[in-house]
Amino acid sequence: MARKAQSHLPQSIRLRSGNQMMAEGALQAGCMFFAGYPITPATGIFKTMIDLLPAKGGIALSAPDEISAIAYCIGASMRGSRSMTATSGPGWALMIESIQYALMTETPLVVSLVQRLGPSTGGATQGAQGDVLLAEFCTSGGYTLPVLCPTNASECYELTILAFTWAELLRMPVILLSDKETGMTIESVDFSSLPRSTAQNRPSNFAFRDLGTHNRTERKGTYYFDALHEIPPFAPVGGDRKVTATGSAHDKQGRLQKNSTETIDVLKHLEQKISWRRDDFVSVVSDLQPSATTLVVSYGVTARAARSAVQQARNAGERISLLVIHSLFPIPVKKLAHALQGVDTVLVAEENMSGLYRSVLERYCKGAKVRGVNKIGAMITPEEILEAVFEEPWQPA
Amino acid sequence: MEVVTTTNGMELVYQKPSTLTDTPFHYCPGCGHGVVHKLLMEVVEEMGIQEQTIGIAPVGCSVFAYNYMNVDMQEAAHGRAAAVATGVKRVFPDKYVFSYQGDGDLAAIGTGETIHTANRGENILVVFINNAIYGMTGGQMAPTTLLGMVTSTTPFGRQQAVMGFPLKITDLIAQLPGAYYVTRQAVHTTNAVRKTKKALRLALEYQPRKKGICFVEVVSNCPSGWKMTPVEANAWMEKNMFPMYPLGDLKVPQ
Ligand SMILES: Cc1ncc(C[n+]2csc(CCOP(=O)(O)OP(=O)(O)O)c2C)c(N)n1
Ligand code: SF4
Ligand SMILES: [Mg+2]
Repeated sequence: MARKAQSHLPQSIRLRSGNQMMAEGALQAGCMFFAGYPITPATGIFKTMIDLLPAKGGIALSAPDEISAIAYCIGASMRGSRSMTATSGPGWALMIESIQYALMTETPLVVSLVQRLGPSTGGATQGAQGDVLLAEFCTSGGYTLPVLCPTNASECYELTILAFTWAELLRMPVILLSDKETGMTIESVDFSSLPRSTAQNRPSNFAFRDLGTHNRTERKGTYYFDALHEIPPFAPVGGDRKVTATGSAHDKQGRLQKNSTETIDVLKHLEQKISWRRDDFVSVVSDLQPSATTLVVSYGVTARAARSAVQQARNAGERISLLVIHSLFPIPVKKLAHALQGVDTVLVAEENMSGLYRSVLERYCKGAKVRGVNKIGAMITPEEILEAVFEEPWQPA
Repeated sequence: MEVVTTTNGMELVYQKPSTLTDTPFHYCPGCGHGVVHKLLMEVVEEMGIQEQTIGIAPVGCSVFAYNYMNVDMQEAAHGRAAAVATGVKRVFPDKYVFSYQGDGDLAAIGTGETIHTANRGENILVVFINNAIYGMTGGQMAPTTLLGMVTSTTPFGRQQAVMGFPLKITDLIAQLPGAYYVTRQAVHTTNAVRKTKKALRLALEYQPRKKGICFVEVVSNCPSGWKMTPVEANAWMEKNMFPMYPLGDLKVPQ
């Protein structure tokens, strides 16, 4: 008689890919609408949503391209449905038009961008972290877009919930920046340690400051606010009041205007609503060592190598700190400043050629020497980070 | 007819065209892509136009077409092949220009390019491999996927109420005045292979006439995406694909 294999692991531990966990996180966050178009390495999110969302009463649609996929999501979101799409570099390029539209129309939306090697069609099955700036600076005007970056499958789940929270509270698109290794690696996830909150409840560890008029029932136009940082109360299209939404420059009523004072205020408000709350939107893991002179900064899959490198360096007697940044944008300047105390060297490890995130962090690291650990075509190893730390070939003890 | 003998003295009755490289195809066993590659390159060889031919194959399983087809080849971004072909043909009006596209590429993300290229009557050949699925990305629903057909993104079969009807884009193209020759063929039997080759030959022969687009659909298979053996896939194709996508000419030069 066949015997069932005995597992010594607790029941709550399951094998999941980061992509699956992103989909499960979205379901937990109350996502009710997903539209996608196949693209490696993001297809797993699409496929999981197709498999799971209809059973939850939601809608999962196959679109004929990424341009449609994101536009379907915006339409659904304007009706009040939490919406998400997922893609990789080539599809992201096509979505940028509508990301800007979502920003301008103050439409909540979560987009997962699972990076692969670019540019162009690039390497479908080759990981990379080369879309960091393409994600953040995809708008004319360079508006701040929240970008969240997980390092493993559990964080894919947690940060997806957070992404929905930000998207809903701020009424704007939020980008989940994953990568091929994080998205497609299957690893154990302890479901008992995952957050149970949905995006409806603000996560208890994040204190959102005054949300302004967000909860007011009285409305004076689709985009009404008093102070620039206030979030206009959301009114769905198809509701009981007339709603005018537009991607053109507009006043607080949503009427197209070129450069009236009110229209310029609306544009400033698009930036203010996030920059005013930038310290509330921080998700970093600070592993700081007192009197450390070196700080390693990393994100995404490379953060896993960084964690291992920092541990090995400490074992070798080095005083060294580590900052793993989940919320890449807005840049967590306070956490960074705190981690920089007493530090003379900053090493930013990321899987791209020129140090994309380093280029924006540098200006916040005054007084320290900032160097990069960079590579394309393969993951950065802990040894490569250690060599950068010690500036000589690394000899394991 | 000239009799060619091989080094061991046997009469050579068949060989791959010189316009195909020696690189072995990476296609799955039974896949139609390889057959169509060979036919197209045979026609190019027979017409003696290797030096005048430029091909555009976008992403899809045939993304590596340039490894096999020994003519100048460009890989276009997903869906953009017909537009890139337009640019090439406009600056090289006397070259033979073809695009080679899957159904996802041609009838989903590239629908706009397909329709407008045909409507402008660009003097190019479009080879359209319809296997009713996105082969390359692992078998998701395509616009051409049949009703009820199971794919990885239609786990319970394509439902019309949710995902609409299979798109017969070749029928649409045939309606456009810019289309000169529109035909639908297959490559699952010897007879079908011969007909497809003839269609490809006609299409390329028509190109110097500059009368509009020539559009050759090949109803094909995807044993891997369909999760069938090659033999099962061809039988399934005959039974299910052909009623929806009947073979034959849709538009011939008047
Ligand atoms: C903008 C963009 N979106 C998605 C992809 C991923 N992708 C590559 S090939 C392909 C579809 C291929 O299907 P089809 O055109 O039918 O060709 P087949 O492989 O079936 O021959 C997709 C979706 C991509 N490369 N670029
Ligand atoms: S996946 Fe399908 S279309 Fe691609 S080579 Fe294999 S059988 Fe052919
Ligand atoms: Mg196909």
